Amino acid sequence: MKFKPFFLLVFAWVWVSLAACLPSPRPDRPAGYLVIALESNPTHLDPRYATDANSVRIGGLIFNALTHTDQHARLQPELAERWEAVDERTYLFHLKKGVTFHDGKPLTAADVKFTYESVLEPKNRSPRRATLRLLKAVDAIGPYQVRFRLSAPYAPFLENSTLGIVPTGTPSRGASGENSLIGSGPFSLEQFSPGEKVVLKANPSYWGGQPGLSGLVFKMIPDAIVRSLEFKKGTVDFIQNDIEPDNLIWFKKNTNASILTQQGTIFQYLGMNLDHPILKILEVRQAIAYAIDREAIIRHLLKGLATPATGLLSPSHWAYERSVPRLPYDPEEAKRLLDHAGFPDPDGDGPLPRFKLSYKTTTLDLRRRIAEAFKEQLSRVGIELEVRTYEWGTFYGDIQKGNFHLYSLSWVGITDPDIYFNLFHSSSIVPYGNNRGRYRNPEIDRLLERGRNSLSPEERKQIYRRVQKILAVELPTIPLWWVKNVVLMKRNIEGFVPFPDGDLISLKNVSIASPLPPS
Amino acid sequence: MKRYFTNRLLLFVPTLMGSLTLVFFLIHFIPGDPVEVMLGETASSVDKEALRQELGLNQPLGIQYIRFFSALLQGDLGRSLYEQGTVAELILSRFPATMELTLAAMGIALFVAFPLGILAAVKKNSLMDRIALLFSLLGLAMPNFWLGPLLMIIFSIELGWLPVSGREGLAHLILPSFTLGMLMASILIRMVRSSLLDTIHEDYIQTARAKGLSEWRVWLKHALGNSLLSVITIVGLQFGALLAGSIITETIFAWPGIGRLTIQAIQTRDYPLVQGCVLVISTSYLVVNFLTDILYHLADPRVSYGP
Amino acid sequence: MILLLLLGVALLGPAIAPYSPTEQHLEQDLLSPSQDHLLGTDKLGRDILSRILYGARISVLVGTSTVGVSLLIGLSIGSLSGYCGGWVDQLLMRLVDVLMAFPGILLAIAFTAVLGPGLNHVILALCLIGWTGYARLVRGEILALREREFIHAARALGGSPGRIIVLHLLPNLLPPLLIQATFGMAAAIIAEGSLSFLGLGVQPPTPSWGSMLNEGRQFLLIAPHLTTFPGLAIMITVLGLNLVGDGMRDRLEKRGK
Repeated sequence: MKFKPFFLLVFAWVWVSLAACLPSPRPDRPAGYLVIALESNPTHLDPRYATDANSVRIGGLIFNALTHTDQHARLQPELAERWEAVDERTYLFHLKKGVTFHDGKPLTAADVKFTYESVLEPKNRSPRRATLRLLKAVDAIGPYQVRFRLSAPYAPFLENSTLGIVPTGTPSRGASGENSLIGSGPFSLEQFSPGEKVVLKANPSYWGGQPGLSGLVFKMIPDAIVRSLEFKKGTVDFIQNDIEPDNLIWFKKNTNASILTQQGTIFQYLGMNLDHPILKILEVRQAIAYAIDREAIIRHLLKGLATPATGLLSPSHWAYERSVPRLPYDPEEAKRLLDHAGFPDPDGDGPLPRFKLSYKTTTLDLRRRIAEAFKEQLSRVGIELEVRTYEWGTFYGDIQKGNFHLYSLSWVGITDPDIYFNLFHSSSIVPYGNNRGRYRNPEIDRLLERGRNSLSPEERKQIYRRVQKILAVELPTIPLWWVKNVVLMKRNIEGFVPFPDGDLISLKNVSIASPLPPS
Repeated sequence: MKRYFTNRLLLFVPTLMGSLTLVFFLIHFIPGDPVEVMLGETASSVDKEALRQELGLNQPLGIQYIRFFSALLQGDLGRSLYEQGTVAELILSRFPATMELTLAAMGIALFVAFPLGILAAVKKNSLMDRIALLFSLLGLAMPNFWLGPLLMIIFSIELGWLPVSGREGLAHLILPSFTLGMLMASILIRMVRSSLLDTIHEDYIQTARAKGLSEWRVWLKHALGNSLLSVITIVGLQFGALLAGSIITETIFAWPGIGRLTIQAIQTRDYPLVQGCVLVISTSYLVVNFLTDILYHLADPRVSYGP
Repeated sequence: MILLLLLGVALLGPAIAPYSPTEQHLEQDLLSPSQDHLLGTDKLGRDILSRILYGARISVLVGTSTVGVSLLIGLSIGSLSGYCGGWVDQLLMRLVDVLMAFPGILLAIAFTAVLGPGLNHVILALCLIGWTGYARLVRGEILALREREFIHAARALGGSPGRIIVLHLLPNLLPPLLIQATFGMAAAIIAEGSLSFLGLGVQPPTPSWGSMLNEGRQFLLIAPHLTTFPGLAIMITVLGLNLVGDGMRDRLEKRGK
């Protein structure tokens, strides 16, 4: 029979092709490098194109900007020693001297000019172009002064001075991929394998002092359990935030990691469609807010890794207003409000609901659990919530189109309070901005417009305090909680200071004490 | 026979095109907008419109389709919308990883299944048989997102023999390929066993026995030969399942392959990348199919393909 | 025997379940098996035993409907293709190829994205992906059998193609088909779980074993019972199905030879 040779042939084919594809063994971890596990892929390290959080954070280690934001969302000097507003439409920045890029070339005003102009250039398709809308011109005055001229007064413009600076001539949209990006930051880009890892090498001639580490490896590990196992095995040294709340207990018991938690600025909220006939009514929205037991969800589902929120800005922000009306868990009050709003419960405590609403969320397990908890809590006051989960693309598309009743999302990276304009001004209603709930309030509109035009920080503070107070009553969105930052790292890592928005810049000051055996 | 093969080869291309067309329309019909994903929340609607214009996304579907195909015929797969680089580059960088994983999985499956299946059939109802069946049961009933982490815990943490995830050396390949190949192995074990048991009753087997051949030769030479047909079909069939399973396995083991890339591309509605990935996956699948058919034909010349 | 148990559970489930499968008690989350909760509780404090019992129905539903529909489609197309041969065969097989060469996952996402998530759409999507396997198998077997003596004989006796297919070919197809079907049911149950992994399975709070397995996966390190019990449920079901398949095959074999 002829089968035998073919049988062997098949076998041979399989193994030969296998042998031909063998990966060359690469070092798991170069000496002196810190290995950090990430859940998702940074897509663009070039600061002109970085939109997702990981891209921004890693980019912040490779590039410097004119300024950076501190714990209170205030701007601090970085490449710029000082700056001033020459008049209400012009800003002048004075650069530090002696800063060089990773290839040795000096960083001058020309590079700053190049960076901002390339963002403004429509052909470069930078996602940040809209934020520089009011920038009329950037001029380099000598090698160490940059002047920004706006077409109208715009206080939030300064937020843009946190844009990383790239050397003149850096190609746009990675014609050759981003493997050859050059910055001026504490680390230089050694290797970028999209979807796999990013390797950074310490910059020995960094103007801010040489980093304590030899380098950083950011590994992409999508599965939470696998990240935990890698940490336990010792192949990963550091994880920030991509941790399932329940697994924290496991980490405490099974590894000797040091665990840092800190109040964060990531704001989770419940969005509502204010064009919906039922959700239009203020009392209904307030009832929903009373019906939700934030504390229980935080305690059980989030394992204490969040703080109940009163509004978009977290307590560490300079414009935070503390005395706003709060909404404690009070299901009886919720029922009263619903009765008063004209939605009586048809059968008292029986199964029939007052009305039905749909709640859209993504397919992430934690989000689903929270959705189920909401469903349960709202059913206790007589509101039937239909939970619909969608994969991200569909979900986001629906949200941006305003096609929803209720949904929940978070805001990351809140710096200037002008974000309120983008979220609640009537001109920001989708698709023009992110006012997805279609909130309209002329007083808020007026306040937000003044907020952007005023250049006095004190005046702006007052304006935004007023805004927070109104929003806490009107509830166009219901604040849920601020997510805490959690950092997990090996005990021999010193010098890391967590930032409220999850910034990793403190890695430049980190060093590894004498190596530990695997935990 | 030659005519048959040239026939099949010719049909290769239209089949591929059919698959791509299906994907093209399907993905464009799914709600969701790549431009929204690309530019994020900070961009203005004016910019988004401009980008749509530039990418040709606001043109009627028919026109986009023609553009896509004409580019394809010139060998241009386009640029990824969301990631950087051309689709071709992205896929080339990830494809070897998936191939490695899939072939290794198939290899392990064959390597494990044949001996176990044969032993099970030969020693039917013995302890060996039961063990083989139990093993097969585990493989069938445990989805790879459960099996994978369990194997990791046992072999990587408790025993410390193997690394957990990632692709950095031969040792890293073992757990993922075993996880992926387990399903195929289970099916094969049962198939081999059942096929052997079937053919053992055939007349010509009795003849062989009557001729005085040793029991082992009877089993291996004759019975196995005829089971080969079913086995080949299964391997071909399950290759698709392997590719599908690789999506999950790659995610769990942080294996930088095409499976994960495809999922990401779908989620970000990265149309050119999705097309490219599907092209590659479909081609691999069709190639394997083709080879399976050839083997099938060679293993049993009695099979004809005419009316 | 196991199957009977399964059916019994599926039907009686709601009656014997000690708790509601959807009642949440956030404070009692992740409890290990105890007297109050024989199989423990899940993350939202729901009783796992109850969820498994209710889940039996869902899983049975998914398994049988998926396989049933896929089998029918696959059988028809496969036998048509295998028996007629020629261009009919080529055309149908190309169709099968196109569908199979296509990542099923894309189809599943497309479906749930356009039609909305939910159990029915999951079953629909699984069927659409699933029938091709049966078609190929049927075709393959028919091609092999077609040239056998007894088929030649039947044809010589003047049987119509339909008769031949049903009377002579089908019985020979049954063994591999049944085996494939039993795998198919198990696969469907697992596939639902895999879809849950990607977020496309049944909607919360519906308890299906596959989605329970997936939900519990995250707590593997701290509360393994969340995955063990649904997993065992699936395994026992698969075992039962396979035993049935084997038994049927053995009996059919004796009859046919």
